[in-house]
Amino acid sequence: MTTGIKIAEVGDVDDGEGIRIDKAATGTEDDIALFSAAGRYYALNDTCTHEKASLADGWVEDGAVECPLHVGKFCLRTGEVLSMPANESTVAHRVEVQGEDIILYPGETPSEETE
Amino acid sequence: MTTNDSPQSVVIVGGGVAGISAARELRRLGYDGDLTIVDAGAAPYDRPPLSKDYLLGTKTMPDIHLAPAKWFADQNVTLVTTTRVERIEPDAGQVLLSDASVLHADAIILATGGTPRPLPVPGGDLPAVHVLRSAEDADRLRAALTPGTRLLVIGAGLIGAETASTALHLGASVTLVDPMSVPLLPAVGPEVAAFLHAQHPERGITTIHGSVTGIAQESQTSPLVATLATGDTIEADLVLAGIGITADTALAEAAGLDIDNGVIVDYSQRTSHPRVFAAGDSSRRRGPDGVLSRRAEHWDAAEGTGRAAAAGVLGREPVTEISSWFWTDRHGIHVEGVGDMSPSGTTVLRGTLGDGPATVFRLDGDRVVGAVSIDDSNAIRAARRMIDGRISVTAEDLSNPEHNLRSLLRSTASKG
Repeated sequence: MTTGIKIAEVGDVDDGEGIRIDKAATGTEDDIALFSAAGRYYALNDTCTHEKASLADGWVEDGAVECPLHVGKFCLRTGEVLSMPANESTVAHRVEVQGEDIILYPGETPSEETE
Repeated sequence: MTTNDSPQSVVIVGGGVAGISAARELRRLGYDGDLTIVDAGAAPYDRPPLSKDYLLGTKTMPDIHLAPAKWFADQNVTLVTTTRVERIEPDAGQVLLSDASVLHADAIILATGGTPRPLPVPGGDLPAVHVLRSAEDADRLRAALTPGTRLLVIGAGLIGAETASTALHLGASVTLVDPMSVPLLPAVGPEVAAFLHAQHPERGITTIHGSVTGIAQESQTSPLVATLATGDTIEADLVLAGIGITADTALAEAAGLDIDNGVIVDYSQRTSHPRVFAAGDSSRRRGPDGVLSRRAEHWDAAEGTGRAAAAGVLGREPVTEISSWFWTDRHGIHVEGVGDMSPSGTTVLRGTLGDGPATVFRLDGDRVVGAVSIDDSNAIRAARRMIDGRISVTAEDLSNPEHNLRSLLRSTASKG
């Protein structure tokens, strides 16, 4: 179990949008893209595995985010690559809502019940 | 096999985006029979980087592979790269390879792509006249491009303009010739076409509106001299011809399939032979009304028709049609286009061209029919959904950069 880090508050991310959180604040190897979709929060490594682009700026739809540069798509829950030209999955991290705080657990695999 | 039987063996000819996309989709749809991709040469790779990061040297072959080696093993896909397809025998369900081996195929997907059109002028076949389609082409061009090299690019379409931009980065001195005063007009509309073309001289590329009628070289060590229709001449060390491709239809033609500047297919990508499908640059759709579409030569079309061919092979419903989409990267900007910018209609500008993210929308009444963006791909993703969903919008909705297009789409969807 890693220690959770507060990375945002409820309301910071509009539904269907993402925000980028600097790795200086999270201590992760990459910046973190925090998404809100259909009432849940998801966290992925922010840099697309295909080219230098921020997934937080991507298009969120049907449980996936599409890279803003090309059409590489990643599953919000697992980070699995769903579409070319990306050929490598990204890393998904567990996030949890505690009161008004959104807590990131870096490196922890999200469960089905991830909020 | 009849059209209702499920195939037990599928051979895909060609390992570009269309071929790999078809293979991925076959497995995704649950097809668990034999699956072979034949493409002589390197493991399947992505072509768009060849004129950009790969040519620049910031990406290498493993970076541009369409699928890691592990994927082929995991998905039980046999990749044949040591020989090529000599002939297909659709009636017998056979694919004959150059090494004399024979693959059985209940279904064949032709994803053979295209070949750069050779420069149709005297001297167009000189060794210093390059084309750019394969990684080998890019390697050759890269080796010849040293700082100070004088590069003449013929054709200012996507490949020509991207290569000119990359060559400039590599220290070359670049001249770009095109017979159109403003290239790419049908693809991006007049506003963006003018903006994009003006970028070249701003960055130090010499642009010439004209046609090259011949290229001469006194000896193998002397420079090339290109003559223009006006009689003017341009001296260069290298030429890149980026004047389009011709569809590789030889296998289909030899098998007696219907061809017309592409292998003719229906909406499930089926050719005139029920066992053979075609996808990507070499395929051309014929609608139920008998009208032939223009052959699409973009990455997205190859990916989409690859998936459609997989669905066709398995007798599934055709993949939903979505409007055409493309991108191009040059001079540090990312350009995307969707739909059709050629028809007349209202033009709506969001942002300012040349000053941060900007998008030009083309409207027909209250419907978006096309859009092109500079560094604003989410506007294009929104536009694509507006076009496909036939969503009615106002110019004010689109033009105000403060209006979130995603929210607009969501509110319209919930109303609808």
